[in-house]
Amino acid sequence: MRTAFLQSLTTLMEQDKNIVTITADMGFSVFEEMQQKFPTRFINTGVTEQSSASIAAGLALSGMKVFFYAQAPFITMRCFEQVRLDIAYNNLDVTIVGASSGFYSNQLGVSHFALEDIALMRLLPNMSVFAPGDSVEMQGVMKYVYKRKSPSYIRVTKAGSPVVYAKPVSSVSTAIELFSGDEATVFVTGSLLPVAKKVAENLQKKNITISLFSVPQIKPLDEKTILREAKKMKKIITIEDHYITGGLGSAVSEVIAASNAQ
Amino acid sequence: MKKQEIQKLEKKAVILRKKILSMITKANASHIGSAYSCLELLIFLYSYVLKIYPKNPFNKNRDRFILSKGWAISALFSVLEDKKIISQKDLENYCLDGSKLIGCATYNGIAGIEATTGSMGHGLPIGVGMALAAKIQNKKYKIVVLISDGECDEGSTWEAILQAGHHKLNNLLVIIDYNKLQSFGKVKDILDLEPLSAKWKAFKWNVLETNGNSFKDLSKTFKKITFKNKPTVIIAHTTKGKGVSIFENRNEWHYKTPKSKELEIAEKELII
Repeated sequence: MRTAFLQSLTTLMEQDKNIVTITADMGFSVFEEMQQKFPTRFINTGVTEQSSASIAAGLALSGMKVFFYAQAPFITMRCFEQVRLDIAYNNLDVTIVGASSGFYSNQLGVSHFALEDIALMRLLPNMSVFAPGDSVEMQGVMKYVYKRKSPSYIRVTKAGSPVVYAKPVSSVSTAIELFSGDEATVFVTGSLLPVAKKVAENLQKKNITISLFSVPQIKPLDEKTILREAKKMKKIITIEDHYITGGLGSAVSEVIAASNAQ
Repeated sequence: MKKQEIQKLEKKAVILRKKILSMITKANASHIGSAYSCLELLIFLYSYVLKIYPKNPFNKNRDRFILSKGWAISALFSVLEDKKIISQKDLENYCLDGSKLIGCATYNGIAGIEATTGSMGHGLPIGVGMALAAKIQNKKYKIVVLISDGECDEGSTWEAILQAGHHKLNNLLVIIDYNKLQSFGKVKDILDLEPLSAKWKAFKWNVLETNGNSFKDLSKTFKKITFKNKPTVIIAHTTKGKGVSIFENRNEWHYKTPKSKELEIAEKELII
């Protein structure tokens, strides 16, 4: 997934001289080629998430399109106030890319987990939130955010995770149906997509069928699909590598609670 | 600078202090001490340093000025109005319901406001981002950021100082409004910044010092800026509440609105 991000970004930077990428000293063995290719438009700002978020805003206020990369817990939580005030409220063209999100850094413990990042980014005005489930969704998300002029958060998880789709997805803004069934509807976001797919396959072998939707964009959410499913299905299940509070679980519940669905 | 020119600027400062007093009292607003502290700096910047286009204030080649101490915005608005960048009518509605002129610098489309500030330690790194953008885009305009001494407590400020020095951002000028008072009391008692000049020098900056309330001193100091090789910081020694005896060096004027007797004294002292 990270490779897909990198390839997409490199292609965009080749096509568009207005793009600048900054990293708060993350991306060892990832960004070296980009650094060589774009010596002025790739900047390592050092281990400075707070000022880097403001620098991203300063670059965007000067008319540049900014991709800001660092590890998910640090780029969303340590500099939350800078992201809130300088990037989100000003509605700037900055894409925040949180690497190693969820439980990705599982051996490193809570310091490196990002289980609250979706919740925090969802809160902010103008911010769109994406959690691609494989490299194909990642390519789709990159294409989509490139066209945006407002802030986005992309949650990146596993490197080398399985590829779910055989061909590009047509839209990342609508829930993508992978299975259609009778027992329940499952919404999954992010890196657990391949796991959810396997669950659906295993259940199918036992003659239990479920509907499975991938949700690459959590904010704004595809409310239409959620409400349609909530009306026809007794059980709605969400899967994510994030706290339910503030995450996809909350987001789906909010849509259903605000409607008349029984 | 000629004596006559200095006298003209000093007269301007009194007029604008009076204007700020009226804006703040009308809106029952705060931070008059902060506004008075940096007024000479703002007048000087807008008269001699910043390349501005009053008839086309969003001109892409304008110098970018960020008031990082966004709570002193009444002073900046008074100068912007004096330069005919914002209207007198807008100024009269400062901080009143429905006005776009908010009591802390807010990036909401008003000419002359380049960033939302007031949460401390944001303005300088935003300025660093703008300076980097100007370098990447090969633009000749400069970026000037006015920060408070209190903001020098913030880690993000020091991150940005480190970054600007490292990237040799010679298109960046920072001015510290060093009035030696922060929110709770004296800087030297709360979190001492000294030796301040040595700290910035160690971070690879050109450092100049001046009396920030003296046009004569400001004129001499600004002549020394070369904009070569390094970013420049001017440590401007100022007096909080400058210009009105009962406001000077008293922290309560970070918060209070002058009323009755205080207002009378202020009005009496602000006569040309």
